[in-house]
Amino acid sequence: MSLSKNASADGKTLTIQIRGKFDFNLVQSFRQAYADIDPETEKVVVDLRETDYMDSSALGMLLNMKKTLAETIDTIQIANCRPQLKKILQISRFDKKFDID
Amino acid sequence: MRVLVVDDQPLNCILLKTMLEQQKYEVAIANNGAQALDILRQESIDIVLLDVIMPVMDGFETAPKIKELAGDVYLPVIFITTLEDHNSFEKCLAVGGDDFIHKPFDKVILSAKIRAHARTRRLSQEANQQKKQLEYHYNQIEREHEIVEHIFSNALDQSSQYQQYCDYHLSPASMFNGDMFLMAKSPMGGFYCLLGDFTGHGLAAAVGALPASRIFYAMVSKGMAVNDIAYELNQVLSSLLPSNMFCAAAIVELSESGKSLSVWLGGLPDLYLIDEKGEVIKTLESQHMALGILDNDEFERNTIHLEVDAGKRLVMATDGIIETENSKGEMLAEERFKQVLKSTSHISTEQIVSYTQRFSEHSAQQDDLSIAIINCLPSKVISKAPIEYSSLPFELKVDIDQTNIISADPVLELVDVLSRIKGISEHRSNIFLLLSEAYNNAVDHGVLGLDSNIKNKEEGFLEFYQLRANALSNLQQALIVIHVQYCPSEHSLSFSIRDSGKGFRPNIKCDRDLKQEHGRGLSLLHEIAQQISFNNEGNEVTIVYSLL
Repeated sequence: MSLSKNASADGKTLTIQIRGKFDFNLVQSFRQAYADIDPETEKVVVDLRETDYMDSSALGMLLNMKKTLAETIDTIQIANCRPQLKKILQISRFDKKFDID
Repeated sequence: MRVLVVDDQPLNCILLKTMLEQQKYEVAIANNGAQALDILRQESIDIVLLDVIMPVMDGFETAPKIKELAGDVYLPVIFITTLEDHNSFEKCLAVGGDDFIHKPFDKVILSAKIRAHARTRRLSQEANQQKKQLEYHYNQIEREHEIVEHIFSNALDQSSQYQQYCDYHLSPASMFNGDMFLMAKSPMGGFYCLLGDFTGHGLAAAVGALPASRIFYAMVSKGMAVNDIAYELNQVLSSLLPSNMFCAAAIVELSESGKSLSVWLGGLPDLYLIDEKGEVIKTLESQHMALGILDNDEFERNTIHLEVDAGKRLVMATDGIIETENSKGEMLAEERFKQVLKSTSHISTEQIVSYTQRFSEHSAQQDDLSIAIINCLPSKVISKAPIEYSSLPFELKVDIDQTNIISADPVLELVDVLSRIKGISEHRSNIFLLLSEAYNNAVDHGVLGLDSNIKNKEEGFLEFYQLRANALSNLQQALIVIHVQYCPSEHSLSFSIRDSGKGFRPNIKCDRDLKQEHGRGLSLLHEIAQQISFNNEGNEVTIVYSLL
């Protein structure tokens, strides 16, 4: 379980990648990942390619982020979900609020 | 040096033998041509002194036979003649004679001639030796190349299954390609490709392709991000390759939806995103140094992200294309390349390569030449093989006391244990979600008695987890019992989670309010589980999950 972040070459995209388990144990570090976001950033990608598990606390954290960044960020994309996680996001109607790729 | 004297007159033989032995040559004697040939077949002879007129087989008949026996190495044949016998000189040369020595013998002349021919003989022997070595090495290399070529073609074999995504053309300047192009698909459906150009060309440049391809395929099969793949490749190549060798590369991932591209680009010429007409919409410039140069801590992971759609194509090529020269020494260069891209709609790599060849006026290709065009298409659904399940009924009970509630991660451990049952692993994300929700409810509301409404306040989310951490550290006596049952005949897993708390009644609204920061957990449970029930006290939940 870990979290890493990366800005794209042009500084316009921030990618937050979560490995293993996405749940409330990450509540601090997840918030921290976008707390000092570069004002240049236009898009945030939450990359779940290496995320095996998530629960409702992860959904809460994503909504929290959406709320915090609403003023500054146009798109928040949840990318590279495994099928079961994608289904969890769909069940939670997250596709209405996030760009799920 | 061993000299063979062939003469039927004993006096001549003795005379020559004495003179030669004085000069430290070994001498063999034959009385006619036939005897001489016998000796030549058995012994190693370096120079032959041959009389013309002899019984049994004369000098003219013997000379060509000696030459034949000698093969590729120069074996000097010096005819013994009299000065008056001028007429036969020409014939001596015609049958293969190399020189003459006249009777009566002059010691100085004989010595000079023998020495000169001995030197030529030695040079010829050396040359022959080298020729043999060369032949040996040539054959050896041929054989090794065949083996290596076989390995390469197996390791880098590109099946046609990615035709829809990618049109590519590789043409190496020599037998082995210092360029490589790899394609693979991740378990999540993303399409990946890598275009690499090693320093130089030929076998030396191609060796790096083997470890690189292994890493690429292994990492794509785990669905890693392009910058992680680049990092790993850089690490391995910098430890394997000599310092003057590296690999310029582009690593591209097209997401399953075909809508987003991630590119790590180091040291290759510009990539172009083009539309249907071939017009360049965006130019992607190399961001990084080539792979195999930087140390781990210097390595940069920045990637380029692009939003794309089905009409768009990404063009990538090694420098072989733009650096192709025509007879005037002009390079093809970027501008001409971009013109070619829009010369026809939906241009193929074949057309680009044939343009390049026309431009070079079909002169010999100077460098490896590779080009690939990726079509930004959504992934085709891969039909999955049906999952096989274990037929053994399985039951598991876990008592989690306060110590473990505080310090262990029982949900993850349980999911790991359950994933070992054949077929269950496919469901592990769902099982984690069910167990995690139920267990955390039992901890948060059952054992710790926290109120979820805190989460609704500004910053409440974080506050809730701080309260939780505090409450956990003060926890005295508590127990959570998880009971898992796997029922193969029903294809179901059931979980019951009972806590030592005083019970709570979850408030399940039919219209689940997703704007709320909490309560999402239970509604999710209802969607994923087949059945959920609570006991009357409100301290035990039973969840049935269908594997079908």
